[in-house]
Amino acid sequence: MNWVDEAFGDPEYGEGRWYLNPKNHSRQMYKIKKTGQKAAAYGSDPEGTSGRMMGEIMQKRFTDPEKFREEVKEANEMTTKSPFQIGQVIPLQEAFRVAELAYPVASMSCICRIGARGQEERNEHEYSCTGLGVGMFKWERWPERYKGGVNFMSPDEAKEWLLKWNKKGMVHIIMTFGGSYVGGICNCDYPDCGMIRNRVDYGVETGCLKSPWVAAVDYDACSGCGVCVQRCQFGAIKFEVTTEKTNIDQFKCFGCGLCETACPTGAIELLDRESLPGLAEVW
Amino acid sequence: MAVPRFPTIIIDAAKCTVPFACKKCLQACLQSVFSVHAVKVERGRETDPSEAGAYGLNAGHRDKCTGCNDCIEVCPEDAITITFPPVEATA
Ligand code: SF4
Ligand code: SF4
Ligand code: SF4
Ligand code: SF4
Repeated sequence: MNWVDEAFGDPEYGEGRWYLNPKNHSRQMYKIKKTGQKAAAYGSDPEGTSGRMMGEIMQKRFTDPEKFREEVKEANEMTTKSPFQIGQVIPLQEAFRVAELAYPVASMSCICRIGARGQEERNEHEYSCTGLGVGMFKWERWPERYKGGVNFMSPDEAKEWLLKWNKKGMVHIIMTFGGSYVGGICNCDYPDCGMIRNRVDYGVETGCLKSPWVAAVDYDACSGCGVCVQRCQFGAIKFEVTTEKTNIDQFKCFGCGLCETACPTGAIELLDRESLPGLAEVW
Repeated sequence: MAVPRFPTIIIDAAKCTVPFACKKCLQACLQSVFSVHAVKVERGRETDPSEAGAYGLNAGHRDKCTGCNDCIEVCPEDAITITFPPVEATA
């Protein structure tokens, strides 16, 4: 089990995975009466706060690289107190399960793509991010954060929409946004997605943990077509010229399943990460 | 191990006034060094990309800059200056 499941999972729900625990979904919070005191997050801006903290740490790359490495290491080890947002790669089927559990579900513009490439997403045909939970109702108050508006979806529409982005080649990352609850399923790629970039380029783990699965190729079934190679956003797949088959470095694999959903011969299988002693602790 | 050579990247905000509308450097950079963010955020209203100074540009990933100068070439406002430290300084 990874530290997020240990801290926020409940064995009664979704095999103990934190993102399938209803208590981490915001609509459940409305059932909890808070008498006599304001909720901790009342009126605050947890996403902004965590963004600023992250920005300060990232800035140390230039001012004090040694300190930067130390702080990232601490943040990665700090488990529940990590100042970084929590995010975990999940394969499509798990994203579908979340789409059934969360309410409301809406598509919206991706803040990373706005930032990294100035990409504007103005309507439901262009939105590429999925917002989850009652935080979405804030869109009216802070239209700049939800730039271009939001599009509320039924669970079935949400699945169709996730499938669309999976086909295009986006990695699904289940995210919190600084608060303690599940806030979105991002559809991510490198280098535009801040979480993937922070992990791959700078070793910041908490925003982009690996999924509970890992890809494995069946060499007998692999035809060597090479389709899977271009699907991997993590550089885990190489085409092995010697054998004319695909080679997946399972230590680099994040278990997103994009190679699996594209393989025309069904040669790639997602294995339970924890069934492999060498990978059970690799998150 | 070689010491990484970060350049200093200065973006002249007086020249680069509407980066979210222009976005030429953002889209041209092979290393995705730049990012744009809203400087002016108001309750109940979207920020206007054509309003001067409403968005800001920064070179947050300048540690990934190779010095290819593509951004400088595409910039219509001559707003970007990139300076690498001399080789001896990092040897
Ligand atoms: S997509 Fe499937 S068949 Fe094609 S190279 Fe990859 S594993 Fe082999
Ligand atoms: S090897 Fe496949 S499952 Fe693993 S990260 Fe790459 S695309 Fe995703
Ligand atoms: S010089 Fe090249 S790599 Fe550096 S910021 Fe400009 S376009 Fe990007
Ligand atoms: S190309 Fe020049 S003017 Fe346009 S956003 Fe970049 S720095 Fe600003």
